[in-house]
Amino acid sequence: MNLRAIGCNVSSAPVGLREKLAFDEAKTRFALAELTARYGVEAAILGTCNRVELYLARPETGAPVHAPLVAEFLAELHGVGSESIQPHLYEHADAEAVRHLFRVAGGLDSVVLGEDQIAAQVKTAFEAAQKFEAAGSLLNALFPAALRASKRIRTETGLAAGQVSVASAAIAYLREIFETFTDKTVLVIGAGEMAQLTLTHLKELEPAGILVTNRTAEKAESLAAESGGRAVPWDQLDDALAKADIVLSTTGAPEFIVPYRRFKEKVRPKRGRRKMVVFDMAVPRDFDPRIDDADRVSIFNVDDLNRVRDQQLAERRTHVGAAEAIVAAEVSKFVQDWNRRKDGPVIGKLTDEVDRIRETVLEPLLAKLNGKLTDADKAYIEGAFRLFQSRLLHGPIAALRDSGGEPHGVTLREALMKLFGLKG
Amino acid sequence: MTVSPLQGITHACFGLSYLLALGLELARLARPSKGLRIGSLIAGAAGLFAHTTFIAYHRPTPAEPYGSFLYLAWVLALFYFCGSIQKDARNAWAVFVLPVVIALVGLSLLLTRETETPVDVPAWASGDRFWGPVHGILILAASIGVSIGFLASLMYLVQARRIKNRVNPSRGTRLLNLESLERMNRHAVNWSFPLLTAGLLVGTLLLRTESAENLLSVKVLSTAGLWVVFLVLLYLRYATSVPARRLAALSIIAFGLLLIALIASHPFIAGGGSG
Repeated sequence: MNLRAIGCNVSSAPVGLREKLAFDEAKTRFALAELTARYGVEAAILGTCNRVELYLARPETGAPVHAPLVAEFLAELHGVGSESIQPHLYEHADAEAVRHLFRVAGGLDSVVLGEDQIAAQVKTAFEAAQKFEAAGSLLNALFPAALRASKRIRTETGLAAGQVSVASAAIAYLREIFETFTDKTVLVIGAGEMAQLTLTHLKELEPAGILVTNRTAEKAESLAAESGGRAVPWDQLDDALAKADIVLSTTGAPEFIVPYRRFKEKVRPKRGRRKMVVFDMAVPRDFDPRIDDADRVSIFNVDDLNRVRDQQLAERRTHVGAAEAIVAAEVSKFVQDWNRRKDGPVIGKLTDEVDRIRETVLEPLLAKLNGKLTDADKAYIEGAFRLFQSRLLHGPIAALRDSGGEPHGVTLREALMKLFGLKG
Repeated sequence: MTVSPLQGITHACFGLSYLLALGLELARLARPSKGLRIGSLIAGAAGLFAHTTFIAYHRPTPAEPYGSFLYLAWVLALFYFCGSIQKDARNAWAVFVLPVVIALVGLSLLLTRETETPVDVPAWASGDRFWGPVHGILILAASIGVSIGFLASLMYLVQARRIKNRVNPSRGTRLLNLESLERMNRHAVNWSFPLLTAGLLVGTLLLRTESAENLLSVKVLSTAGLWVVFLVLLYLRYATSVPARRLAALSIIAFGLLLIALIASHPFIAGGGSG
């Protein structure tokens, strides 16, 4: 195996550099074409907001590609000085590169342990490599194996279980309360970054409508336009609250914007028994906590959601050992399979060559003894020769298979080819 | 003449199968496993098969407390099994339904022994072979609704408590969402009330010639109490906006009254056919 994983991630490179090294589709296409043409490698590029990694495979006999060369290539491609890239690059070779990819695909190397988007990103990187004809036999075997390892980790361990972001914790609570969302109205109070971010997740629930209100009407209109919702004047907050099923509040108000009395007198009578879930993400809080009656209205503040996220992250950490064990097993299996696959043709040639030799010895012998032997005798002699051949070859073939993944494997294969006069 | 092997099926066969299914479900809560789920479903299916066979073979009358509990347990067992085999079945479904099924089977067994001695048939009931079973079937159908409402309410209160205590949604016992449980309870009450009312009307007609002593029996009073609770439930649901957890609490009280009404000796035994 002649494989390198070279790149940088959130631990090795600052965001400023990662931004400069980002790949869009056009750049990916160009880079893959250049890498294959210039260096004669199989290549795949994994680019996410947290990492940029190149997986480069060369034929066994070729010199491996190293980090300085990749730094120069990236510098040329992105117009950045290679000296500013190289110190941030890491390089993993062969089985270690396989292990790195399997860990990445399984979410073990992610900022949020066990996050599930990375598997899709690994798949996208592989599909791009295939689409632009940069993947060869090694990468075509490596990436599906990485995705299999990732699937095993997600299904056999709890590494990807639960909610590990505030937004996903909010959605998990919503699913505990509501059955459907297509008949629900979301009200966003405040139009800051937090509102924008959380609303992106809430939109995935496909609510019937989104209302946005803010003290500054222009901001509300802007967020409403972005989210496909409707802006509501600030002075109509009570009516909007009466209509809403899910409320996301993120203002910077120094005191409650919805005090208990206001809610009790102006909102509750209009709501009947309809349930309302409020995510009060503001600090100080926007909703008086007394409004939460644990039945019709549930208010979750930022601490509630952070607690779920922290608990889940702690829970996920307990599954790291099991996930690493899966990675180790899958890496070992992949390396062995790869070496077997690579040894297959050598073993085939060796067997063919010894078959040929056997025939050249056996045929004249049987011809000489023609007429003196019964069919049973002939079969017995042929069987004896075959047994001799198989016992003779058993040792070398077993040694070659056992050397899979070990450094002397290549030497052993070459020695066999030389000793038996096999042509490569 | 050969004895059918079906004759050998007893309460113990399906009661213990349900108990085994419950045990496996509880084990699954502690340690989720596909094997335990499959084992639990097999035990549940075996119980349901034995239960169905028992009912088909013995054909108990729903006009007897013994038969009522047996039929009620069977419907709830079906309810448990259908809920459990759904792909997205939540763990806690069986844990809530099976204890009720097992308790009802137990009550049925208990009441079998009590009714083994011949019961004196009231004069007004003799010869009436139609209205007695009609009353029994209507009350039984209403009882199914009351029981489903009870289960939905119980789960609702547990789920509401989990949310109130901000329990991590991915931890511990998983339940259906509040909206589904509230809908289930609402449908159960809406369907049960007309059946219960019709059953009570038939019962009232049958009792019209009875003495005041019979009219004030535990059975009659608890059934009337159940009807009143249902009336209150409907009023609160549609005419007010009281919290759903109060409605859930009332549904649980209704189930208690139902049990009292069913346990109390039934006045229409002699009039009951096979139902």
